[in-house]
Amino acid sequence: MSETVAAPITARPAGARKTLLLKTIGALALGVVVFLLPLYLSSQYLLVLMWVFTGAVGAMGLTMLIGQAGQLSLAHSFFVLVGGVSYAVYASPGDKDTIGFGLPTLLALVLAVVTTGLVGALFAPISGRLRGIYLGVASLSLVFLGFWLANQLPSIAGSASSGRYAPSLKLPGFDFGEQNPSLYVLNVEIGSAERSFWLFAALTALAYVAGRGALSGRVGRGWRAVRDNEAMATVMGVSVVRQKATAFAVSSAYAGLAGVMVVWWYSGLMKPDEAVDFGTYGTTVAISYLAMCVIGGLGSLGGSILGAAIVFGLPQLLPLLNGSTSAGSLSGTAFTPVVITNLIFGALIVLIIMFEPRGFAGLGQRIVRLVRR
Amino acid sequence: MLTVEQLSARYGRSVSALRDVSLTVPEGSVVAVLGSNGAGKSTLLRAISGTLGLHGGSITAGQIAWKGQRLDRLKPASIVRHRVLQVPEGRQIFGRMSVEENLRAGGLVAPASARAEAMERVHTLFPILKERAGQPAGLLSGGEQQMLAIGRALMSAPEILLLDEPSLGLAPQMVARIGSIVRDINATGTAVLLVEQNATMALRVADLAVVLEVGELALQGDAAELAASDEVQRLYLGGHAESERQAEEETTAARRGARARRPLGVWTP
Repeated sequence: MSETVAAPITARPAGARKTLLLKTIGALALGVVVFLLPLYLSSQYLLVLMWVFTGAVGAMGLTMLIGQAGQLSLAHSFFVLVGGVSYAVYASPGDKDTIGFGLPTLLALVLAVVTTGLVGALFAPISGRLRGIYLGVASLSLVFLGFWLANQLPSIAGSASSGRYAPSLKLPGFDFGEQNPSLYVLNVEIGSAERSFWLFAALTALAYVAGRGALSGRVGRGWRAVRDNEAMATVMGVSVVRQKATAFAVSSAYAGLAGVMVVWWYSGLMKPDEAVDFGTYGTTVAISYLAMCVIGGLGSLGGSILGAAIVFGLPQLLPLLNGSTSAGSLSGTAFTPVVITNLIFGALIVLIIMFEPRGFAGLGQRIVRLVRR
Repeated sequence: MLTVEQLSARYGRSVSALRDVSLTVPEGSVVAVLGSNGAGKSTLLRAISGTLGLHGGSITAGQIAWKGQRLDRLKPASIVRHRVLQVPEGRQIFGRMSVEENLRAGGLVAPASARAEAMERVHTLFPILKERAGQPAGLLSGGEQQMLAIGRALMSAPEILLLDEPSLGLAPQMVARIGSIVRDINATGTAVLLVEQNATMALRVADLAVVLEVGELALQGDAAELAASDEVQRLYLGGHAESERQAEEETTAARRGARARRPLGVWTP
């Protein structure tokens, strides 16, 4: 929503060049910081950041769907599941209990993303007909369907009790899961945690850049036209059904990538949930993705990364900060990190809707305007 | 040439909106469609642009052809590709998108080679849209929004433009401006089918005109001739001394009536 107004417009050339320069410098600086982080942070903090990256990739897909294409989806966690399962099936060799093709991992990654996108496109007949909350509720059924299917098909999704394993990414000559080849940067040995962190950061950056490209070009314009006024878009020759299907497919592909990242984050474990409302692919996660998009500002890619930092980052980070790694019900206090996080992001959503409905993206724009003045 | 032959259309099962309407729009001409509310003017445009279905309507008989190609069985998107463009009534712009983006959205189905040229043409016709390129379209004034709606349609480089009530809700000065814009667009070779309630303006810019009455074609002919005809004068131009006097009498009578009623009223707001 917020980025539509600030979409690339013909500004004064001199100002535009300056902005571009600033942006390039900012991006480079951010890149350097992210590159150096694993050298200074312990692996448990890296895991927190990797979980944030995973959430960010998924949330970017959802925010494009909701904010730019105007379609509410509560099925994002289902597509995350589809992505994870597809990767496991494509990449792992398979044995007597599980089906697997043992494809090269990079190919499996691409195929998993494409497969999830196609599954999203299959939902088009429904997404093309329903709007708003009706579509949201209809899509929610997918989460239940996914839960049921995953539990019915242990040979594909892995059993709900022990799951199945999928390999980490191996590029020719570079292994992200093992120290092969061994690598030293500034006298720090780059182990699997550091490698995975770079991989996750790179995938997030890639997803962001691809998303920016799509949104600033014809694809995004078509989505926004359909979002703002379907009848008008039709009159201009835009096929509403096709635009909606593309939006769902792209959003699902992002969720698929997030799904693969989830599997890697669990060190290759693909395990379906044992309950539909709690776990990695359930309704709670679907709502979490929605919360990231709302907190970040619907339709804003950058905002959804910040949203992921809060919704996925805080519950992981807080237990590390107060020293208790286990944040279960046995920790002796009612205010476990999870409860505190839930309170924080509950309060954030209320505050954001009250004071800045455009979320972090809106806040950012205000700050930029203040600085320019 | 756009030909509409024996066209009938209805909404739902019962509401018949057009009956046996035939008309032609010669290449490069402006044809005005006049008529009162509910005469079927918008229905006619929707039928041509293929968007009748969006409003729960359908063509029941007859055919529409553009340069020998039947349009009545095509989807809206392919009709646009045949460069037949509709500007629906009510200035339906994309309010949350910038002016420039609105225009670019208009060129979504146009071939890449035509887009830059179309943009330049729109900017020449409407310099204000270039000035306001970065503004959210929702913040434009009514007249500017109408220009944007027309400009957006021009982005697909139409050969015929179907304009639905472009002067609706605009100040008189703006109405005249829209009239001259229609002429300018026509001057570059684009045919225009202009639906208007403002008959004075429509007949001034049009070459030919048709009058619809409750879904049927009542009159058709040369715009200048129609403008001079008694029936059009009486019905749409309101220019007759007699009708003016009559209207005046009616107003005074109504006023008098209102004054007379007031003391009797129990509740006087």
